[in-house]
Amino acid sequence: MKAHARLTAELDPASGRTRLRELRSMAPLTLFPKRGGGTAQVHLVSSATTPLGGDELTLTVRVGPGASLRLSGVAATLALPGSHGEPSSAAVHLEVAEDATLEYLPEPTVVTARARHTATLTASLADGARLRTSEVLVLGRDGERPGGLVTTTNVTRGAVPLLRQRLMIGDPLLDASAAYLAGRKVLASEVLVWGADPAEAVGGDWWSVTPLAAGGTLLTVLAPDAVEAGARLAVARRHHPGWTPGCHDPVAPVTDQTVSPRSGNP
Amino acid sequence: MDVLSLLLADSRFPGGGHVHSGGLEEAVARGLVTSERDLPPFLSGRLRGAGELAAVFAAAAAHAAARGVRSGYWLLLDAELDARTPSLAQREASRAQGRGTARAGRVAWPSPVLAGLLAATPRPHHPVILGALAGIAGTPPRDAARAAAYLAVSGPASAAVRLLGLDPLSVNAIVAALAGDLEAVAARAAASAGAEPADLPAPGAPALDLLAEAHVRQHKKKEVRLFAS
Amino acid sequence: MPADNHDHEHGHGHGHFHPVNFDPTATEPDRYAAQPQRGRAYRIGIGGPVGSGKTALVAALCRALGDELNLAVVTNDIYTTEDADFLRRAGVLDADRIEAVQTGACPHTAIRDDITANLDAVEQLEERFPGLDLVIIESGGDNLTAVFSRGLADSQVFVVDVAGGDKVPRKGGPGVTTADLLVINKIDIAHLVGADLDVMTSDAHRMRGELPVIAQSLVETPDAPAVADWVRSVLPVAAA
Repeated sequence: MKAHARLTAELDPASGRTRLRELRSMAPLTLFPKRGGGTAQVHLVSSATTPLGGDELTLTVRVGPGASLRLSGVAATLALPGSHGEPSSAAVHLEVAEDATLEYLPEPTVVTARARHTATLTASLADGARLRTSEVLVLGRDGERPGGLVTTTNVTRGAVPLLRQRLMIGDPLLDASAAYLAGRKVLASEVLVWGADPAEAVGGDWWSVTPLAAGGTLLTVLAPDAVEAGARLAVARRHHPGWTPGCHDPVAPVTDQTVSPRSGNP
Repeated sequence: MDVLSLLLADSRFPGGGHVHSGGLEEAVARGLVTSERDLPPFLSGRLRGAGELAAVFAAAAAHAAARGVRSGYWLLLDAELDARTPSLAQREASRAQGRGTARAGRVAWPSPVLAGLLAATPRPHHPVILGALAGIAGTPPRDAARAAAYLAVSGPASAAVRLLGLDPLSVNAIVAALAGDLEAVAARAAASAGAEPADLPAPGAPALDLLAEAHVRQHKKKEVRLFAS
Repeated sequence: MPADNHDHEHGHGHGHFHPVNFDPTATEPDRYAAQPQRGRAYRIGIGGPVGSGKTALVAALCRALGDELNLAVVTNDIYTTEDADFLRRAGVLDADRIEAVQTGACPHTAIRDDITANLDAVEQLEERFPGLDLVIIESGGDNLTAVFSRGLADSQVFVVDVAGGDKVPRKGGPGVTTADLLVINKIDIAHLVGADLDVMTSDAHRMRGELPVIAQSLVETPDAPAVADWVRSVLPVAAA
């Protein structure tokens, strides 16, 4: 299945609110707008069997100057193999204009056995743009070895590259390597280009908040399950000096202690 | 493989490499690597993340240096490698070794291309200065990539011998067994050597980044650490 | 230009460099000798076996010379910051005048074969403190063959102590035989450990020829005046 969903948000100068200019769903990618305050909110609902081998999914999100959008996933997606082992791909393009804000927060992607999935995320930021985007990858369902996933992230601000990362999942040797994924079931990462970056890296045994060279911050968590990964990510985010949770951000109930008794470093 | 590649890949090359364990010391401190048996997966992971990235940029730098690059290329390459190295600790380790390699390179192989590179980036990333030195001497990108990839595993292997007292003959055999993977990494890196810097591959390895960050944290806490990274 | 000047211009000692000079009367400086460059600090390496009193000597020199010289210290202790912490606690030097380097579990490599980490530390100190006169580089405790590279240290001191056995000077090794100064430390306890000080010093002089030997006790002379005088004697005139 080939699908290209599009979403464009713009600032309405009269009301100071963000309006959704374009909201084009295409099965299996469905976009549901939510009524809210100054920030536009949209839910991304994918069908349960997405992406499936053979799928080529594209999502393009544009946020105009000064506008503010939060696009969040609703349920975890399963990367599944096609009936004949075809690969699947999902490409997300984010464009955030001057002084605009975008939060793109999909739910976890579970890489099931024999999946052959390629995920790319490209974010182009203008000066003064704010971006928060997260990716949670689960290496197989319970007791399942993951199939293959190649995920690539590209974040640029103007002509300056902030972050370029490619990761391969599904090679048992690398998944288990202490120098690659350390045998952990879940990798969670989050990019924050959101005000002041930390002056130095902060972290614990399997998580870190590290300032990128040209601006922006990467949060990285390796965890045994998605719940701990999410909780740890929330803790990590609190170490980011520029982060100001929006009014829609639920208060995370976790503390450093509840997440990991091993960590002595908040 | 020419003499220059041998010199650059030699553990006795005086570029400061011997004080970097490539995350191995932190892995040993946490009990993730305790014996010869744990070393192959560690080195494989390191090769496919940090090693492949180093090879890609060494090959690109060799390709550029051999052709006489347009001004600004070194800054561009530097920024692109920065973007592919999210860990601050890893960036610092790369630049520390780059500075050491540049110091040795200025004495052994002075050239206008090298001077141009160091004028643009006084603390170059290690793979970039390594590749540039190779390219200036006419060493093919693939050889530069092989040297960079080899250093990415030979350093931690040597650190394992020093930290754990592993049998050096076994460790040498473990590195030797990576020959096929090393050649594959070098061949892939050479294939992308002529690409625009923005389009170069960006292999990453989150666990290695986290080990590198943790290592620096231990330094700051005044825990015993024998290696700079 | 007169013709008779032409040959003269190709004589020696006029600013251009000849790779090989067969004239025994030529006085061109040996470009491979340690020649501290103008504008950088003089570097003294202090090496010697574990426990011989290197760090205590560094602290003594800081006390003795800290008021008259702009000085800083690089430590190579294998326990990372142990020596640096000792010096900071001793209060002999501001904490930011002390840099600790990691040696990758090979202290002799870091001061001899691959001096990169130490050069980086020295250069950092020089950038932090313009006009620095002296950097003392303390090696990690090592064996009798560990000496500083001439690319790192302009002069070096090798420290042994009476408790290490009075045979040490006789055993020789590059540290004992070639260091610019040999210090025999802890002479106040020689009688307790059964060391014959006369044997040690006479062996040391025999092994070292003209090179100086100082026997001292930091208990009796906490500011190491003899070693401090030696340091003053080796410093370039402009800095002293």
